[in-house]
Amino acid sequence: MKQSFFIDEKRPHDSASKHVSGLAEYTDDINEPYGTLYGAIGWSKEAHALIKKIDLSEVLKSEGVIAVTTSSDIPGRNDVGAVFNGDPIFPLKKVEYYGQPLFAVAATSTELARKATLKAKIIFKVLKPIVTIKEALKKKNFILKGKKIQRGNPKKTILKSKNYLKGNFTTGSQEHFYLEGQVAFVIPKEDKDLLVYSSTQHPSETQQIIAKMLNQKSNSITVLVRRIGGGFGGKETNFLTSSICALLASKTNKPVKLRLDRDDDIIITGKRHDFYSEYEVGFNDAGVIQGLKIKLSSRCGMSPDLSGAINERALLHIDNSYYLSDIQVQNYLCKTNTVSSTAFRGFGGNQGMMVIENIIDNISRYLEKDSADVRKSNFYQKNNRNITHYGMKIEDNVIQEIFNKLIKKSNYKKRYLKIKKFNLDNKYLKKGISITPVKFGISFTTIHLNQAGALIHIYTDSSIHLNHGGIEMGQGTNTKIAQLVANEFGLRFEKIKISSTNTSKVPNTSASAASSTTDLNGAAALDAVSKIKINLEKFIKKKYNLKQIKNAIYKNGLIKFNKKSFKFDSIIKEAYLNRISLSSTGFYSTPKINFNKKTFTGRPFLYFCYGASVTEVTIDTLTGESIIDQVDILQDAGKAINPALELGQIEGGFVQGQGWLTMEEIIWKPNGQITTVSPSTYKIPAVSDMPKKFNVEIFKQGKNRENVVNKSKTTGEPPLMLAMSVFFAIKDAIASTSNYKKIPILDAPATSEKILMSLKELKNRVN
Amino acid sequence: MSSNIIRFVFENKIHEIKNLDPNETILNFIRLRLKKTGTKEGCAEGGCGACTVVIGELKKNNIVYKAINSCIAFTTSLEGKQLLVVEDLMQKDGSLHPVQSAMVNFHGSQCGFCTPGFVMSLFSMYKNNTSYDKKTIEESISGNLCRCTGYRPIIDAAKSLNNKKPDQFKINEKKTINLLKKIRPENIYINNKNKKYFAPRTVIELKKIIKKNPNLKFLSGGTDLALIVTKQKKDIENIIYLNSIDELNYIKENNKYIEIGATTPLRKFELFIKKYYPDFNTILKRYGSIQIRNIATIAGNIATASPIGDSLPLLLSLDASICIENFNSKTILSLKDFFISYRKTKLKKGQFISSIRIPIYKKNIFKAYKISKRIDDDISSVCASFNVIIVNKRIKNIKIAYGGMAPIPKRAIHCEKILLNSDFSEEVILKAQISLKTDFQPINDMRASKNYRMEIAKNLLFKCFTEIKNNKSIRLNY
Repeated sequence: MKQSFFIDEKRPHDSASKHVSGLAEYTDDINEPYGTLYGAIGWSKEAHALIKKIDLSEVLKSEGVIAVTTSSDIPGRNDVGAVFNGDPIFPLKKVEYYGQPLFAVAATSTELARKATLKAKIIFKVLKPIVTIKEALKKKNFILKGKKIQRGNPKKTILKSKNYLKGNFTTGSQEHFYLEGQVAFVIPKEDKDLLVYSSTQHPSETQQIIAKMLNQKSNSITVLVRRIGGGFGGKETNFLTSSICALLASKTNKPVKLRLDRDDDIIITGKRHDFYSEYEVGFNDAGVIQGLKIKLSSRCGMSPDLSGAINERALLHIDNSYYLSDIQVQNYLCKTNTVSSTAFRGFGGNQGMMVIENIIDNISRYLEKDSADVRKSNFYQKNNRNITHYGMKIEDNVIQEIFNKLIKKSNYKKRYLKIKKFNLDNKYLKKGISITPVKFGISFTTIHLNQAGALIHIYTDSSIHLNHGGIEMGQGTNTKIAQLVANEFGLRFEKIKISSTNTSKVPNTSASAASSTTDLNGAAALDAVSKIKINLEKFIKKKYNLKQIKNAIYKNGLIKFNKKSFKFDSIIKEAYLNRISLSSTGFYSTPKINFNKKTFTGRPFLYFCYGASVTEVTIDTLTGESIIDQVDILQDAGKAINPALELGQIEGGFVQGQGWLTMEEIIWKPNGQITTVSPSTYKIPAVSDMPKKFNVEIFKQGKNRENVVNKSKTTGEPPLMLAMSVFFAIKDAIASTSNYKKIPILDAPATSEKILMSLKELKNRVN
Repeated sequence: MSSNIIRFVFENKIHEIKNLDPNETILNFIRLRLKKTGTKEGCAEGGCGACTVVIGELKKNNIVYKAINSCIAFTTSLEGKQLLVVEDLMQKDGSLHPVQSAMVNFHGSQCGFCTPGFVMSLFSMYKNNTSYDKKTIEESISGNLCRCTGYRPIIDAAKSLNNKKPDQFKINEKKTINLLKKIRPENIYINNKNKKYFAPRTVIELKKIIKKNPNLKFLSGGTDLALIVTKQKKDIENIIYLNSIDELNYIKENNKYIEIGATTPLRKFELFIKKYYPDFNTILKRYGSIQIRNIATIAGNIATASPIGDSLPLLLSLDASICIENFNSKTILSLKDFFISYRKTKLKKGQFISSIRIPIYKKNIFKAYKISKRIDDDISSVCASFNVIIVNKRIKNIKIAYGGMAPIPKRAIHCEKILLNSDFSEEVILKAQISLKTDFQPINDMRASKNYRMEIAKNLLFKCFTEIKNNKSIRLNY
């Protein structure tokens, strides 16, 4: 019999049968009590302007309208910024982005509320907006002070290096496009208490921000989240929807539901930071980087939000898997009149990694070498060249193993040659191939966030109620944590009841973010289990006089002490009758980590996730269109709790990253208006975009050397970055048109247009 | 005889709704009135598939199942049909439909929000096919977006299906057919708070109505028109619905031309046109999702007159013509004379397109290309279509049309002139490419820049002639 019988089990997501039958309840599906009102937000059609007058008289007169609310209705803090101020719920004097909320309406139906918002008359004094990174750099318009980090003496080593390159590179923004948009439902209770249902990754912060807005205490606000229809970072700090909904409910003293429609969601809420970098690099003939200087700028939008942490993670991942002996990076956090850029799977890490991957790709092309070899010769080593630029010793490095295994498994070398032949034989269609590595650090870099709580009750019929601070957003955290708990108690999975995340059960939780939801909350749940077990074992030992025996084994519904065994169900009943507590909280805080933000040194991560991917593409050089012929992935998931769910994260993360680097393009007009606001203009990958061959494997030798639940490694964010190979395969195909003699200039996303323009530019250089 | 009651089969009963709001979508009907919340709103524009439901239509004693976007279909369009939503698939004893079980077993859901839509699209595929290859599967779910899975597990779930064992709908089919037959076709006339809705059953009835009410908005599939309600949040006050008129749902052919009735769904047309113009079929498959093509019509695409309507450049290069009728007259107009300016046509009040005629060319080479950011379910940056006769390396006849290059879908007249009666040489093609600048001054928008548009317009011309010259197509294997 297997040692652990629920771990490693490919069981379906706990809600799968509810998903497929339409019975899984999302916030908008909750049946409303009689008298519920429906909200809608009125927002600014200017990106940068002084507010002269907001005339809502026609709005109020509109059919079905019960109330309107503006900044003057806010008794407390008029800001939803989680870390810094700067995100007013309704600005008082000045709008700073196209789409910024200005007022809200409560009406008898969503349709009538939305119709009413269109009747507002707002008079602005329009100011010139700053929209792009380059404009902000030129005007030195920054949202937070940038950092300058340095190791060694890159200036000197670049000068001494035999080879030198410089250039610049852009990666684009990205809309989360969670299928369930932002939505909240608030029910007023006695004593001005509010019960808040919200589609959020961060119930505790939702609670605190609503409390501060209403000048109430946190203990008067309860936030519940059963599941959300995708988050990807887009529901980590977006508190506008829930705050405005709570404001309307508080003002009208009626239940209010507020659901943004897709366009409003895209217009009003934040997206991924786009990044612009300039670099200088010195390297030897093997392509080993000897010195590197980077200026790294990002579009942060109109407020700080999480931009500090996101740009910090970009700095922490500028090395990806490479040892950079002499490096200097200066970053610039640009303030623009666009919606505040926010968390998105990868959280700056992917943007940082694309910078170094592009540099390595260019070095390889300059030296006319296979970039796989150049990547390898820059990898961190096990015993030397293993200290990161922020001073952390890498102890769990498996990138060489993964990379070499994948080269073999994917038949990379043969295909590399075959593609060169294909390109000689074909004039208009060209193929490209690339292999890229991923090393991604796990933990919140803001150390205090690395904590979690859980609550477990065992009822007298021995059914178990499980609650923890993590949010189920599709990643299967509830399923995995229930598997861990069932396993620890030696019970069937079905005995565990998964319940809504609830701020009144587990307080002061961190956002479900930074890929660490299961690591943190799973460990907290196991802590609760072990506390209950201590109670039970103490009781059994005393009652059955089993003094010498140390550890009990929980298996198949039994509790075994050497030769004696007890039925779990009967012991629970007995324990209750003997007045033994059958409920416990659990708590976890990540060990070992520390980080000095001032000196930019320490151990910000408990461990690293590793992976690699090979992508082969074909492009049409007459139109710039591209397709992905084949992808091979090898990803370290440690000892996976549920390999089926991990596989889902890896594949889904890859395709999301593919979208980021190919077709997903946010367009802002020079006046700051966003024009890609719905699926008709903003394209995320559809089924026909997925790789024609998609071979995904979990690294079988994987095991987390740190004490993480089940020795597993997370698969939340890291797989997104596997898609980097898509971009560089496209670049490889473009380079083939110069017979691999020139370095193509290509920015992300590599849309058909960018590819065609890159081909054209390259052709001009060749001729 | 007319009625103000919309009748349809739902949950094994005939539902009757009196004086329905003609602007109410099926999605709002299901979620807000029936309080069945399995069907989701993802975008309210037919672009994500989360709202997919299945419509059963009686066709010669069989039920034909069609996946549609309930967010942009009006409840009135359910008249005489069966409505199936995701909650209907689970049996009373709680057992899952084979499509649902497959999705569970293959881990086809993560956050689960898009899942009901996928389930309904796959259900429709399951009912309409007996085997499920990758192409069929991809086509069936090309209008369903998933942000979590990357689609692989959903494809695997679909591949695992076989419908040899009858499901509950097959077992109940006779009952359902009897219920559908009980709903006798009637002209519908609704007046709800000054919103008027007419759904005539015959062309004669249609003409009577437009004679009296020349200000009606014609509604066909409504995949464009419905956005006035769902996106602009406006009312459409007077609607005349064409798709109840069965006599306009036809495809005829003779030696010279194919005639397509105005209410023929694109899906039916695309299957038919394949034997004459394979590229027309290829483009229509990428016109929009199957949910859209199940209800959208060519006539609707023409009347909407969008510069980026995908069928229009193809029809222009084929020199199609349209029949325009009002209550007492019928004229035939060449499509090239139909478009006046951005979204403006020669269609006058009270006039409607009754059919489209596409000439049959036996010796011509017909090619069409669509360039967009995404392969499926996207709007063209540029769509190009070429209709050529080459005799002894000389271009004897040529018609070229582009979409996305001007405020209207338009023929490339200057370019055609250069090519006509010319030798089919690189030099001539180069001259023709340059002349496109005289024909078109494209614009920048969120889909493409003007430079890119011009560049691909030129390259597609080159591609077309290179393909002809080498007798080998240069296409990515989508």
